[in-house]
Amino acid sequence: MTSELIDFTLVSVALLGIGIYGLAVKRNFIRMLFAIEIIINAANLNLVAFGRFLPHSGGQTLALFSIAIAAAEVAVGLSLIIVAYRMYQNVDIADFRSLKG
Amino acid sequence: MLEITSTPLVIMAILGTVGILLPIISIIRKEKGSNSFYAVIAFAALIVSVGYVGYQFINDNVAASALFSEDVIVNDAFGGFFAIAMLIVALFTTVGSFNYMRKHNSPAVYYSLILLATIGMVLVAYSTDLVMLFVAWELMSIPTYVLVGFMKKNPSSNEAALKYFLFGALSSAIIVYGISIAYGLTGSTNIGEVIQGYVTLDPSMIPLALLSVGMFIAGFGFKMGLVPFHQWLPDTYEGAPTPITALLAAATKKAGFAATIRVIVLGMVVLNLDWTLALGILAVMTMTIGNVAAIMQKNLTRMLAYSSIAHAGYILIGLAVAPHTPLGLQGSLYHIMNHAVMKGAAFIAIAGIVTTLAVTNLDKLQGLGRRMPITALGLVIALFALAGIPPLSGFWSKIMLFGSALDAGSVVWWAPWLAIAGVLNSALSLAYYGWITKKMYFEGETEKRVKEPKSIIAVMIFSIVFLIGFGVYPEPLIQFVEFATPTISSSLMP
Repeated sequence: MTSELIDFTLVSVALLGIGIYGLAVKRNFIRMLFAIEIIINAANLNLVAFGRFLPHSGGQTLALFSIAIAAAEVAVGLSLIIVAYRMYQNVDIADFRSLKG
Repeated sequence: MLEITSTPLVIMAILGTVGILLPIISIIRKEKGSNSFYAVIAFAALIVSVGYVGYQFINDNVAASALFSEDVIVNDAFGGFFAIAMLIVALFTTVGSFNYMRKHNSPAVYYSLILLATIGMVLVAYSTDLVMLFVAWELMSIPTYVLVGFMKKNPSSNEAALKYFLFGALSSAIIVYGISIAYGLTGSTNIGEVIQGYVTLDPSMIPLALLSVGMFIAGFGFKMGLVPFHQWLPDTYEGAPTPITALLAAATKKAGFAATIRVIVLGMVVLNLDWTLALGILAVMTMTIGNVAAIMQKNLTRMLAYSSIAHAGYILIGLAVAPHTPLGLQGSLYHIMNHAVMKGAAFIAIAGIVTTLAVTNLDKLQGLGRRMPITALGLVIALFALAGIPPLSGFWSKIMLFGSALDAGSVVWWAPWLAIAGVLNSALSLAYYGWITKKMYFEGETEKRVKEPKSIIAVMIFSIVFLIGFGVYPEPLIQFVEFATPTISSSLMP
């Protein structure tokens, strides 16, 4: 049972690493959004895996909440990038540099 | 179980109903303008909420600060304290938007989003369960992403929103990951049970517990603008509509502190580790970098954005020494309330300046004292309170914060250095506050007085009365803070 849990946790940590790599290296807004989604899903995997070995369903509940909220968040993020695309014809955040100092 | 008349539920009901109804009303009425109609409705809802919180306090219906509870939210004085601070800022924002948003479309959506974000912030302060905390956190964040990018035709507003969104979404992802580790270690999402679980944790698991606490600090730190996580903050504050900047600087930041106190400070005490030193170093870095960067700015909004980073550092002093002296948390809460009013007023003053004169560049503010006397006076009083000039309210909270650091000096050797760094930083900040004042009052000769928006004047008068009133006679506010501050030693072992 415990070894099974370790498998899940390892996958989750690997996903977290992929997400952080994506955020650090990529400059395309949509890719960065995907990277954040991967981190959230890593956390969800953790929650569901831990919840599997506990006598109550708190983890699964939080995972459901988190999935719904992530969907709302992505909707907002995509609408922001659509507005930006209309202005710049581009989704590369390296080009958004009017604010600095 | 919570009663149906308890403060968080009533606030949620009032603001939620009005927030959902506003866009529906706008669809039914089929008109685009009439900003003032929706502003008045939102204003009334917020006033009723503030009134309800105050009424509950006056009638002694509020439990002393609990921090732990078996429910997901608890109706305690700590939450009520933050609720008042955030509702005041939401009122500032609503009133300040009155003129600012006049030229923009879809005002109903705008005010509705402000109300929904306010519910989120208030619930963050009340929540005692990590699930509730996370949901409230997102309810606070998602509307503010939209609000920051609300001016669709304006490239800098959009850019600000994109940056804010990326960092905000990352912060919430990190928070969920931290929650998942805490849940895995302790088998519960209730904050009290998590902390109790950490006490009895197997020593080999302690690094994981530290990792989860670190992830909470990082996640909340993004919203609070602590220094390694602050890069988004000046850009977002500058690009966002200025009333929304007030909401971000004065309210969502405070929600971050509320969550930090609920989750981290107590966890810190229980884990019995040198998190305090780490927080102390973060505090010194935050205030120094914030103030040094502020001096170099040419734009008033951006300068105050950096100054708001610096103030997150001052507040963090209190959290860092919280395990060693009861004054620490009191000072933090006191400064949180003051900072909400000071920063809110300062940014609303800038919103007024932007509405009437359309400038934020410091060089163009010459003679503002003659052109917009009341706005300029409100701005100067807010700035002096931020600097901590004696007869103003900001002075007492800074004294309490630095005093708490000195007080903790008998336990930990490094605490007095926090006070020294804080005093030096206050002196440094006086330089650029003084510079703004000099520009406004002692430069420029020929400017004539222009008409100031009445809504901005109302905010200015409220803040001047608050800052001078509680500066001259701070007793009631200090008593309120003492009532709202959770006592760490007694709640340590639930």
